[in-house]
Formats: sequence, structure tokens, C-alpha cells
Amino acid sequence: MSLLRAGVVVGTLLLAVTGCSAVPTDPDGTLDRVSDGVMHVGVSPDDGLIQIAGDSVSGPEVELVEGFAETVNARVEWTVGGEEHLVWQLGEGDLDLIVGGITDQTPWVDSAGVTRSYPSIPGAEGRNIVMLVPLGENRFLGELERFLDAEVGK
Amino acid sequence: MTQFGRTDLPEEQAVALRKAVRIEVFTICYTAVTIAVVALVLGNSQAMKTAWIEDIFSLTPQIAFLVALIFVRRKPTKRFPFGLHRAMGVAHLVAGVALIVVGANLAFEATTGLIAGDHPTIGTIQLFGETVWLGWLMIAVMAVIAIGPPFYGRYKLKLAKKLHNKLLFADADMASADWQTNAASIVGVMGIGLGFWWLDSAAALFISLGIIWDGWKNTKAAVLDLMDTRATTYDQKNAHPLIGDINELLGSLAWVESSAVRMRDQGQVFHVEAYVIPRRGRVKLSRIEDAERAIADLDWKVQDVSLIVVSEIPVEADARTST
Repeated sequence: MSLLRAGVVVGTLLLAVTGCSAVPTDPDGTLDRVSDGVMHVGVSPDDGLIQIAGDSVSGPEVELVEGFAETVNARVEWTVGGEEHLVWQLGEGDLDLIVGGITDQTPWVDSAGVTRSYPSIPGAEGRNIVMLVPLGENRFLGELERFLDAEVGK
Repeated sequence: MTQFGRTDLPEEQAVALRKAVRIEVFTICYTAVTIAVVALVLGNSQAMKTAWIEDIFSLTPQIAFLVALIFVRRKPTKRFPFGLHRAMGVAHLVAGVALIVVGANLAFEATTGLIAGDHPTIGTIQLFGETVWLGWLMIAVMAVIAIGPPFYGRYKLKLAKKLHNKLLFADADMASADWQTNAASIVGVMGIGLGFWWLDSAAALFISLGIIWDGWKNTKAAVLDLMDTRATTYDQKNAHPLIGDINELLGSLAWVESSAVRMRDQGQVFHVEAYVIPRRGRVKLSRIEDAERAIADLDWKVQDVSLIVVSEIPVEADARTST
């Protein structure tokens, strides 16, 4: 029994040491797919964070997404839509990310992975802003949070 | 005179009981801390959530033990002529049923998660300025809090033997198996990290089946005693040796032709009915009383003794020859 326990501990430590860079991974390979490729981002308008005029989107949250895409050498393809439809597309695998002034009180917690909240994004005005990623794509989520921590972390 | 339903304990057991109370209080404090710490790193892992809820419900045997103890100590009255020893069995039953219900609920959640193909999402946290995957923290916490239970589990087992307390035994038994829960949740989180999303639900299912199994064992043990099954050893494996000892003692008395014993477990102590056929069809009152006292002197657990003179031994009672 204690042998098994020791085995678990040693195994975990080994994995921790050797696998730190590989864990967590994306079960559906989102980060690998968007790197050096296209990042499909869903977007909804928000007064302070996202302006949409015809085909062009702009605003602080848009800049953040563009900045993150740059770190993985990805080109962003924007899909403008209502939140529910975007979340559905995220679940279908048509989108990799959703932004749009979504807060940590979002009702989509069961349908999407939610980042930590970033209240210091310019234009957030103290709202706890989050972004949505596909469920379980933990490497992609981790890299996004790492980027946001560096850019707009406290 | 015969004292019904003993509420005081001999020195050795009194010491063990004080130790038991202390270790139960300690366990509750320890578990409260682990519940709080795990809550901080819970995240979206079903395995972690299941382990966490198991942690919360692992408090029931300890609380049940401490609450029942208040009642067990009360002296028998006209209204409760057998004393309140059954409080231990009632508490045991409540704890067992609670575990089954919670375990079934969690097993259902894990199964639906597995069927629905839920991909658990675990993000990062900021720790000392570094962005760290929360999964590492979960694994670290689960590994660290697994250290305590095997130690106090073994300690409780010793006390349970000494006190003949089945609730304490069940508690010790669960504590000894607690590391499996932690190991399973670590496997679940590691699975998420490596991209095997289903491993999380599978680990959650494993843990919840463990909870149901604990609940089933406890409920069964409690119900058997409440249904007055023949008294057994604390681990419910064998008939209690005192049954044989009492028959042995009665058989050694010159006036006894044959004897049988009906003994039930009231929680910490036994209730004994001894049936005796006297050799010449008659017996002096003082001999009966002497025999009752001699039985009570056998062991601290048998103080509530009734010796009944009969012409025929009831078949359900354990006769001397059968042990």
C-alpha cells in the first residue's frame, strides 16, 4: 500500500520535472493548429472594449487578441455575432476564442472554458473581464492567460 | 446487583475512550483544514470535486461518534431501560446512508460527464508573479493532505478494537483507504494535463464508487446490529468469542445441566440472555445471582445479563455444543 503511494508520488514528481513544458496539453490541439496559422475569434460589441464598424473591429480587447495572436504567429479571422451563437460555434470547433466584454459572471461556464478575470484592461471600467476558449483546451487557455498576465495583469 | 446497560468503563477503556475523543476532534480539525485548502484549488476537475465532497462527508462518522457518545454515557432510566447505547448504531446508520446517497449522486455526475464527453477546463493561476497551471497545485495539495489519514487511521483502529466500537472501526477503515481517493484525483488531474480528458471523469467515478462502497459497508453493519444480529467481533467477521466463554462458564457450574446464550450488540456493550436447564429441575435464587455476577465479571462489555431458568433450551440461542 505504502509502496503504491510512494509510486504515485515518485511518478508525479517525475512527470512534473520532465513534463512541465508539455503539460497541460490541448486534447483537440487548438494551440498547435492556430500557431503559424489562423486563429478564429468570435466577437461581440462592447461599449468600452470593442467597436465594430462594418468589417473592421477595434478597441482594447481586440488589440489584446491581436497581440496574443502575434506571439504564436497567427493571423486573426474575426467572426462578429451574438454571444449565444458564438458560444455554439465555439462548441462546434469553428471558433478558437470569444471576446466581447464578457465578465466572470458569464452564464456560459458549462459551454466554454473561461479565463481568469482582468479588470485592468483599458475600458473595462472595473468589470472583471474574461475571454472564452473551447472547453478543455488547457494549453491554449494557459498560454492566453500567461499573455494577459504580462499585458494587463495586476 | 446487576447493573443494566453499563455506562461507566474500566480504566483501560476509559483511557482509550478519552484518546478516541481527542483523535476524533483532531481529525475534524485536520479535515476542516484540508476541505478549506482543496476548495482553493478546486477548479473544474470532476475528480477533484468528488474528492472534495468525499472529504466533507468523511466528517460524518467522527461527528456521529462524538454526538452518540453524549447519549451512550447516560444511565438507563424507566423510559430507556436498556440505556441509550443504540445511539451509536443510529449514528452509524445515518452516516452510512449519507455516504450512499452522496456517493450515488457523484457517481451519476461522473457517468453523465463521461458519456457527454466533458472536457474539463483547468486554467492557470498567478503564484509569486509566475503563471502556473492550476493542475500542478491540485496535485501538490492532494499529495500533501494524503499523508495524515493513514497515521490516524491506524491509531483509531487500535482504539476501536479496545473499545469494541464499530463506528470508530468504520471511521478508521475509511481513513486507511483515504489515500486512494487522493491518488485517484491526482490521476484524474494528470489525465487532464496530458490531454486524456476522460481520465478525470473516470477517476471521479472510481472515487464515488469508493464512497458508495463505504456507505454500503457502514449501513449494513449498522442495520445488522440494530436488527439484533448475534453479537460479533468489532470487524463483524465472526461471532463474538464471549458467547462461547459464557457457555463455558455456565457449563462448569455443578447445578447447570445445559445452557445457551442469546447475545446482541447494543453499540459499545452487549445485552446477554443466558438460558439454563438446572440439573434437578430446581435451583436456588442465590446460585442464579452468583452466575449472573460471574458472567458480568468475564468482561466489561457484558454487564446487562439476565439468566433465565428453562426446561428446554430455545433453538435460536447459541447452545454450548454449537460453539
